[in-house]
Amino acid sequence: MLHLNALRKSFGSLVAVDGLTLTVPKGQVLGLLGPNGAGKSTCIAMTVGLLAPDSGSVEIEGVGPPTDPRARRLLGVAPQALAIYEDLTGLENLAFFARLHGMADPRGAALRALASVGLEAKGTERASRYSGGMKRRLNLAAALIHDPAIILLDEPTAGVDPQSRNNILETVRALSAAGRTIVYTTHYMEEAAKVCDRIAIMDKGKLLATGTVQELIEQHGGSSVLTLVQAGTETRSQVRDPLPEIARAMAAGNVSSVRIDRPDLESVFLNLTGRSLRD
Amino acid sequence: MNVILAIARKDLLQLFRDKANCFFTFIFPVLVALFFGTIFRSGGPAGKMDIAVVDLAQNAAAAGFVGDLRADSAINVKDAATLAQAEDLVRKGSADAAVVLPEDFEDAAGGLFSGRALELDVIVSPKNAAQSGLLVGKLNELAFKQLSRSLGDADLTRKLADQGKQSIASSDTLGPVQKVLLGTLFDTVSGLSAANATPAGSGDGSAGGLAGWQPIRVTTRELEVVNKGPLNSFEVSFPQGVVWGLMGCVMAFGVSVVTERSRGTLSRLRIAPISKSQILLGKALACAIGCLAVMGILLGLAVVALGVRVQSWPMMGIAVVGISLGFTGLMMLIAGLSRTEGAAQGLARAVMLILAMIGGGSIPTAFMPPLMRKLSAVSPFRWAVEAVEGAMWRGFSLAEMAIPVGILVGVAVVGFAIGISTLRWDDD
Repeated sequence: MLHLNALRKSFGSLVAVDGLTLTVPKGQVLGLLGPNGAGKSTCIAMTVGLLAPDSGSVEIEGVGPPTDPRARRLLGVAPQALAIYEDLTGLENLAFFARLHGMADPRGAALRALASVGLEAKGTERASRYSGGMKRRLNLAAALIHDPAIILLDEPTAGVDPQSRNNILETVRALSAAGRTIVYTTHYMEEAAKVCDRIAIMDKGKLLATGTVQELIEQHGGSSVLTLVQAGTETRSQVRDPLPEIARAMAAGNVSSVRIDRPDLESVFLNLTGRSLRD
Repeated sequence: MNVILAIARKDLLQLFRDKANCFFTFIFPVLVALFFGTIFRSGGPAGKMDIAVVDLAQNAAAAGFVGDLRADSAINVKDAATLAQAEDLVRKGSADAAVVLPEDFEDAAGGLFSGRALELDVIVSPKNAAQSGLLVGKLNELAFKQLSRSLGDADLTRKLADQGKQSIASSDTLGPVQKVLLGTLFDTVSGLSAANATPAGSGDGSAGGLAGWQPIRVTTRELEVVNKGPLNSFEVSFPQGVVWGLMGCVMAFGVSVVTERSRGTLSRLRIAPISKSQILLGKALACAIGCLAVMGILLGLAVVALGVRVQSWPMMGIAVVGISLGFTGLMMLIAGLSRTEGAAQGLARAVMLILAMIGGGSIPTAFMPPLMRKLSAVSPFRWAVEAVEGAMWRGFSLAEMAIPVGILVGVAVVGFAIGISTLRWDDD
C-alpha cells in the first residue's frame, strides 16, 4: 500500500502540491491525472524521495520516508524522461540497475525483465539503436528489474506506436494481476480508463476528485448530449437522462435520427480542470 | 562496494563505447606524444651516433683520425677540449659515447712494426652500452684506413721503418741472425718507400703478415649517468601525451555526470537503494581508473616500443596514483560547477585546454620562457608532467616527488570539496 499524507511542497511563492492525501491499496492501479503544472511530477518526486516535502509524509508498505533504503527497494519508477544509458545494450542497462539493487543474479534478472516487455530478442543491441517504443519498454523494464511492490509509471506510453502502447498496457495489467500497486500518470484519458482501477484528478496542487471512472462520470461528468433530427431539423440538448426525451420525441413522430453523447473521463477532466489552455 | 564497482564499470563501458571520447582519451595523446617526440628528436640525421672526441695528441695522425671520424656517415663528431668535457657530454646524453685519442697517438700508429696496437679509450653511458660494439668496429675500420694511409706515405713509412730498425738493433731478445734479416727487411721497406713504389693497398698485405694483430686496442668504460635529463625525445613528449590523455579523461567523465543529470539517469540512480556518496565514489573510481589506464597505455607504449626508460617504478607508481587522484578531483570540480552539458563542455574545453597548454601539454615547461614557466605552476598538468618526468628521468627522491604529488592531492581535496558541495542532483 502507498499512503501520501497531507503532502505539501512549494517553490518560492508557487505552491506545487497543497496538502495532498492519497491512499493506493495493494494491487490497485491508480490513474493520477491533471493538466500540465498540476503538481503530478512534484507529487511523484516526493513519493520516490527525490524531493523532500515541506510537510506531510509518504509511507511505502508501512515504511517511510522514501529515502529509507528499505522503502527504495519496494519502489520501481519509470520516469517520463527515458532514464536509460543509450551507449549500453538493453541487457547491460538492466543488469546495471539490478546490481544497484544488490540482486544476486543481475544477468538473469535482466533477461527476465527484458522478456517481460518483449525485448528478449534485442537485449544485445545498444539502446541507441532502439525505436522510441522499444526505449519506452526498456525504461519500464528498468523500473521492474527488482520486482518492486509499488510501481510509479510517469506517462509510460508517451510518443510510442500502438504496438508498444499495447505491450505496455498489457504489462501494467499483468503487474496489477500479480498484486503490484501502481500509480499511473497519463494525458491519455482512454488509456487511463482502460487500465486504472481508480482515478485521482489533481490541479494546482490540490486533489480535485478520486473514484472509479464510473463514479467520477456520475459525479462530475455532467449531462449527456442528445442530438435529434426531427422533421428534417437537428436539435441538440444537454440532458441528465436522455431516455424520457427520446420517448417524447418518438411520440411526436417524424424522428429520423437519434444520437446520445454520454460523458466520459475526458468530460470529467475538463469539467474539473476547465477548458482554458495550460502551459 | 559492489555498487561502487558497478557504477565505475558502467561509466568505463560508456567511455569505451563513445568513439570520440575514446579517441581523445587514448589515441590522441599517443599521436601527440609520437608527433612531438619525432619532431623534437635531437642530434644529427637519423641513425647517426653522436661521438664526443678528445684529441689529446694534437698531431697530424690524430687530426687525420678525427677527420676520418668526421667524414664517416654514421658518426656525428662533437669536439671536446678535455676528458672532463667529453665525459660531461656523455653524462648529459648529448653524446652517445666519447673517444679519447691518447697523447702518443702517432707513435702508436707505428706499432705495426713493433706489434703494439693503438690505444683508444671509449666512454659510453650505460644506456648506449649496446652501441659501444658498433663504435669499436667503426674505430677498427678507421684505424685500418689510417694504417693504409700511413703505408702510402713514403716519408712516414721510411720514418717508421727506421724506428723499427732502431728498435731491432737495440733489442735484447733478438739474436744476431734475426737482427740482420729484419734489418734487411726494413732496408727494403725504406727503399721501396723512397722509390714511392708502395701501393696504397699493400698495407693490408703487411698487416696480414702479423696474424691476429689489430691496429687499435679499445678500452671501453661505462660512465654512470648522474645527470637529470631526458636521453630520448620521447621521454619529453610522452609526459606531454599524458597531459592530453588526462584532459580527455577528465572532460569525458566531468561531462558525463552532468549528462546523467540532464537525461534523468541520475534520478534513477538516486531512487535506487544506494547513497549519494556511493554514486560519487563510483564515478570517481571510474575517472581514476580511466586516468590510470591513460597513463598505463602511454607509458607501456613508450617503454616497450620507443625505448623510454623509467628510472624508478616505485616513484612512477606514486606519481600515477597522485595524478589520478588530482585529476579525479578536477573532474568533480567540473561536474559540480557546470549546470548544463553545454556549460560542462565549455568549461572543460576553455579552462582545461588553457591549463593543459600552460602546464606543458604543447610546449615542455623546460623550453618555456621564465614568466610562462612561473605561470605554469597554477596548472595541475604541470605538476602531473613533473611527477611523471621525476620518475622517468629526473631521478626524483621521495622528498622531491612529494612536492608535485602533494600539490595534486591538494587539487583532489579542493576539487572534491567544491565539486560535491556545488553538485546539483536535480535538473531544475
